[in-house]
Parts: sequence; C-alpha cells; structure tokens
Amino acid sequence: MNRADNLRVGFACAYTPLPLLVAAGFAPFRVLPMTEAPDHAGRILHDNLCPHVKSILDRALAGDLPSLAGMVFMNSCDAMRRLYDAWRTVPGNAPAVLIDLPVTADEASSVFFTGELRRLAGVLETWGGRTPGAEELQRGIGVYNALASRLRALTRRVDSGMLADGPALLQETFNLASTSSFDETAAFVQKLLAEPAQERAPDAVPLYLFGNVLPDPEAFRLFAACGARIAASDLCSGTRLFQKVELDAGGDPYAGLAAALLGRKPCARTFDPSRPVRIGEEILDQARAVGARGVIGHTVKFCDPFLARLATVRRTLQEAGMPFLVLEGDCTLRSIGQQRTRIEAFVEMLR
Amino acid sequence: MDKKGMRFRGASMMFQFFQEMEQGIDASIRAGGGHASPRKRYTLEVARLGRRLYSGRDKLAWCGVVAPFDLLNAMGVTSCFVEFVGAMLASTGTVGTFIEAADHLGYSSDACSFHRSVLGAAMQNAMPVPDVLIGTTNPCSGGLAVIENLARHFSKPLFILHIPQDESGGNVPYLADQIRRMARFVTDHTGLPLDQERLRRSIENTNRVHAIGSEVYELARHVPSPATSRDLNNFGIVMALFLGSEGAIEVAEAYRDAFRERIASGKGGVPGEKVRLLWIQNRMQFRHPLEKMLEEEYRASIVIDELNDFNWNPIDPDEPFEGLARRSIAIPFNGTVETRVAHLQKLARQYKVHGAVNPCNWGCRQGTGARGLIEVGLKEIGVPVLNLEVDCVDDRKFTEGQVRTRLEAFLEMLESRPSP
Repeated sequence: MNRADNLRVGFACAYTPLPLLVAAGFAPFRVLPMTEAPDHAGRILHDNLCPHVKSILDRALAGDLPSLAGMVFMNSCDAMRRLYDAWRTVPGNAPAVLIDLPVTADEASSVFFTGELRRLAGVLETWGGRTPGAEELQRGIGVYNALASRLRALTRRVDSGMLADGPALLQETFNLASTSSFDETAAFVQKLLAEPAQERAPDAVPLYLFGNVLPDPEAFRLFAACGARIAASDLCSGTRLFQKVELDAGGDPYAGLAAALLGRKPCARTFDPSRPVRIGEEILDQARAVGARGVIGHTVKFCDPFLARLATVRRTLQEAGMPFLVLEGDCTLRSIGQQRTRIEAFVEMLR
Repeated sequence: MDKKGMRFRGASMMFQFFQEMEQGIDASIRAGGGHASPRKRYTLEVARLGRRLYSGRDKLAWCGVVAPFDLLNAMGVTSCFVEFVGAMLASTGTVGTFIEAADHLGYSSDACSFHRSVLGAAMQNAMPVPDVLIGTTNPCSGGLAVIENLARHFSKPLFILHIPQDESGGNVPYLADQIRRMARFVTDHTGLPLDQERLRRSIENTNRVHAIGSEVYELARHVPSPATSRDLNNFGIVMALFLGSEGAIEVAEAYRDAFRERIASGKGGVPGEKVRLLWIQNRMQFRHPLEKMLEEEYRASIVIDELNDFNWNPIDPDEPFEGLARRSIAIPFNGTVETRVAHLQKLARQYKVHGAVNPCNWGCRQGTGARGLIEVGLKEIGVPVLNLEVDCVDDRKFTEGQVRTRLEAFLEMLESRPSP
C-alpha cells in the first residue's frame, strides 16, 4: 500500500478532477460550507465575498477539518482565487495548489487544462501520492464513473418522486460521496435504491432547482414542506460534481479528463462564446424536460458568475412563461429558512 | 429621469458630449498658444477616444481590461474596455440613471457598479453597438460576465482570451496563440486585416510610451513629487487604451516635460508636501472634494496609484504576440495575492509613501477579496493601510462625512509618524 492510501485531499469546487485524486491514491474530501465554526474569515476576506469561501476559511481557522494531505483549489472565480490566498496564511493548514480553469471548452482550452492536470499530478506526488500514469488514471476514472453511475440511478429515482424523503437523502448521499470513500457511498446508494418505492405526493408541485452551493439536506426538506417536489436539480454541491467521464478509446486519459470536465454541464462561469448567456435557455429546456411548473434559482450571496447572469435567466424564463423564484443564501439553513414564506407563496401560485 | 440623464440618453448624445469636450479642449489649447497641462492633453485623448467610440463610423470592439489595444489600434479597430464607460458616466454625474436601469432589469446591487452601469447604459442605448467583443478572464469574473451579457444583448460575436495566472510552463505561447486567433477573428468580423508593418509601428509606439512613461513614473517618485493627486488619476489603466498611437506618445511626453520642469523649478505638485499616499486599485470616479481636502488641509498627496507602473518589459517587434501575452499576464491583479502585495510593497518603497488607502470598491471580489492580505503585506514594511468601504462609481452611495472622518483620522495618525 502506498503511504498516500486513505489520506484525504481537500477540494472546494465541482470542477476538481476527482478521478485524478483517486488515481494518486487519495480520498477526495470536499470542504463543505457546513460548520459551527465562528465567523472569523472577515479578518482576511472582505465582507462582500461569497459565504461559501468564507465558511471554508472559517473551518480552516477553527481547525474544523480532518487531516488533509493537501488542498486543491480551482481558479473558478475571483472568490475562489482569494480563498486560495487566504488558505495559505492560516498556520497549520495543509499545503494548497491553485489549478487554472479555462472558461471555454474549445480545443486550445482543453490542451491547456490537460497541462494543468498534469501539473496537479506532480503536486499530488509531492503530497505523498502516486504519480498516476495513463493506466492508473484510467482506473481512477473507472472508479469515479462507477460511483457516478450509481448516483445517476439514485438521482433518477429521487427525481421521479418515488423515494420517501428523496431529495434530502440524495443530498446526504452527495455530501457523503464528496467527503467519504467511494466504497462507503456506493454501499449507501445501494441501500437507498433497495428501499421500496413510495407513491408520489399527488399535490406536490414539480419544480426545477438550479444554482451553486446548497449542501444542507434540511433545505430540501424545507422545499418539500412548502409543497414542492424537486423534479430535477443542477447544483455544484449535487449532480454537477459527479458526471460520468467518457474517454476516447486509446486516447490520453489526461486529455480526456480535461475535455470531460470542461465539457460537462457547466457552472455559470463556463460558457460557449458563440452562444452567450445560453444558461437561461438550458435551464428552461431542463425544466420543461422534467415537467417542472416553475424554477427556483438558489445562489449564495455575492456569487458573481451567477449574479451577472441571473437577469438574463429571468428574462428568458419570463418570456417563455416559466415562473421563476430566486433565493439568495449563505449556505446555512437559517438563511433559506427565512425564505420559507416566499417559497410557500411561489408554490401556492403554481398550484 | 433627471436633466443630466436625459442628456446622456442615446449614443448620439454621447457622441455629442465627447465631440464638444474634444472641441473645447482643442480650443483651449490653441488659445494658450499650444501650451497645455499634461492632464489636459490626457483628457483630450480621452475625448478623442470617446468621440470615435460613439461616432458610428469606426469598427468597434468592446473589450476586457487586458485586451491588446495596440494590436487592435494597428488593425484600425477602435477598442475600449467597458469599465471606461462606467468611469466616464460616474465622472459626469449621470451614472445613477444607468445603474437604476440595470437594477430594474434584475442585475444585483451586490455586483460591481462599473459593470452594472455599463449594462444599464447598453440597455438604455447609451453604448454604441460593437462589431465584436473580446472578453478577458482577468482581472475579474464580473468583467467577463458583463462582456458575455453585452455579446448577447448586441447579438455580436464574442472572443475570449483566457489569461493564465503567470508566465510558467507554456502559458506565454498559449496566450500568444490566442491573440493570433483573436486577430483573425477580428478580421473575419470587421474585414480589417492585420498588417504586419502597421503592427510593428504600433508596437514601436508602445515601446516609446514605455520608455517615456517609465521616466514619468521615475520623476513622480521625486520628493516632493511633481504630481498632484489628480495628475495621474486613472493614468496607467487608461493609457493602455491609447497604446500604439502617436497620441499616447504625446501625452507621455507632456507629463515628462511638465514633471521635469516642476522638479527643476523646485515646485511640488502639492505645495509644502507633507504626506505621500499610495492609492490602491481604483480611485472614486465621481466628483468629490476629498482629494482637494487631503491636499489643502493636510498637504497630503496621492503620489502613486497601484496601476501606474509598467509591470511588463518593452515588446520585441519581431515577436509581438509573445510580448503582448506577457503584458496581459503581468497586470498585478492577476495570479496570487503575493504578486500583488510584492508590487504594492515595491511601489510603497519607490515612492517613499507614508500610508496607503484602499477604497475597497463594493462589488469587486477580486480586488477587495485581497484586502486583509494587502494590509498585512504593507504593514510588514511599515506602511499603514486605511481600508474604506465605498462604491467607486455610484455617487448615490457616497457618504462624504464618514469617509472624510476616516481619512482625517488616518492622516492625523500618519502625521505623527516618522517619515519613511
């Protein structure tokens, strides 16, 4: 056994190349913004930075983290870059690396990002990991894909409304998958899939949910309590983190992983320049595909990639006659709980 | 809409504004026998750029901050970073109308006002329709997002320059190739080719500005500084728009000559200069009395702004794309905060500043996110930092009394410290 086996490497963004961490012998550990740590991040980061990154820094400042061999940050946005800066000033924190992330998925970007993944492989070795060659990386991708497939099956089951307390359990599963061993998660998924099917609540209103970070399962219970059924969701703390990586036969797995990550269902920060702010149409298509009667957009406060595009999303949905509710939060149940009346009113309007 | 807002409604009114501004400055310079302050020559170039942007005659590109403007100038494309419009609207006192327009469309008030005002201006037809848009991934996510929104609003083609975080590995050739493709993209959509000889002349002009501008900055370091707080306001970032042109050389020469003369005659920019300040990131773009207050009541001068520096080397005319790539990467807002702090420390030492002011523009994540670490970094070299909480564009949020009180307290503290 390599000395890196069972060591964790932290991460904070859904673009993190989890298969590469696995291939290097590490267990990926998402530093979720769920903590009782005191709010001290403001000492280093400005108040106008998103609560996601500030909660992660709060966890680091309070020592509310497991032992980490290292921490991988993706250059996904300004706030994440500043978090990387701040992370390295906290005494005792694990070493960190910032991996650059193109905003487009064209060929040149993929080649560049492939280079970044190779650089990350070198860094992982310095943290005590294996140096993944093509075969090891393919194996890592295989392990990741196996879990992604199971999670996809569970997601389908939950989206159909046939699993009691499904959306909250699904979020618990995603949290488990991003903080525990893949084997443990796989067993948990199997258990859930074996649960007897429930009748779909007849009067629950099907909604489509998109946004960024919403890891608290209780938030999903709140939606259900307000009369909503989340018919599908697209969150970076949920489905966006586990999307199957398809490789070309015989191709370089690093290049394949880079292309897959850039080409996956995107966060608002990644886009196709030939179809600017297409995110609105994509949300509309997805909402219609699952028969949603309305859309909820949940973003953490001060998230520039989403803030800058929500107006266009709103206009697109409005023009299509798709009702839309925007919720801004701070990654805590408290903030979303304050929105309960708005969610209830929105659901009531759609009945 | 108020009277000023009406004045700016529509791109044709903007054209008129810049044209009148240009004609007024031209007339003033002629009346003075060709003599003019360097700031007036700088403002004339700003007016000329504004007039060209709104003329409806030029091929036009709205860009991100670190686009290669000298290359675009060489192609005959009038180009500008969009934040320029936000700053201009703020300076004319009309920005509120456009920010409100953006707010009504659902753009968050937590976003940067430079960008909200630009979006509002576009929706109010106060931004000319471009032929192309060129987004840059640096300095900020918000700036890139506004370019993406404008591309959709105008239904015009968009090209993205991904600016790597540093020059390591193959980053320079990667960006240089993107700039080559960008030039082809611009040609495809404007019909304007990139003539190699014109590019060479443009790069040579850029290098000339680099040489003269370096002397300007060297002179500005003199104690007392020949610069007033206003002289070099926005200078470094706006001069990038003029690069490649003869006008940029004339502006740089005007500053050099004026500063040489002031030093030779023993005149400081601020008579009796007592306190020298470093201003971090952006100035407040709207009119306010605080810089005057600093100068008159405390003999304090803003001797250096963060972006008034050349972080890049002259560009080899035989390898222009690589040089342009290095320059785009070199902006201190790029990469990790260490780069930025090291740059600020360098400036603080070179200019012998007593203290630094960081306005912490509300809505700017990349800039203010580094607030705490910048403060620590400057304190390490004995430079205290005043962090303000302001919106550098939206004058409706400006609380003069509070900002004044904090500045006064800071200045009183600095006066009691030994000179650096």
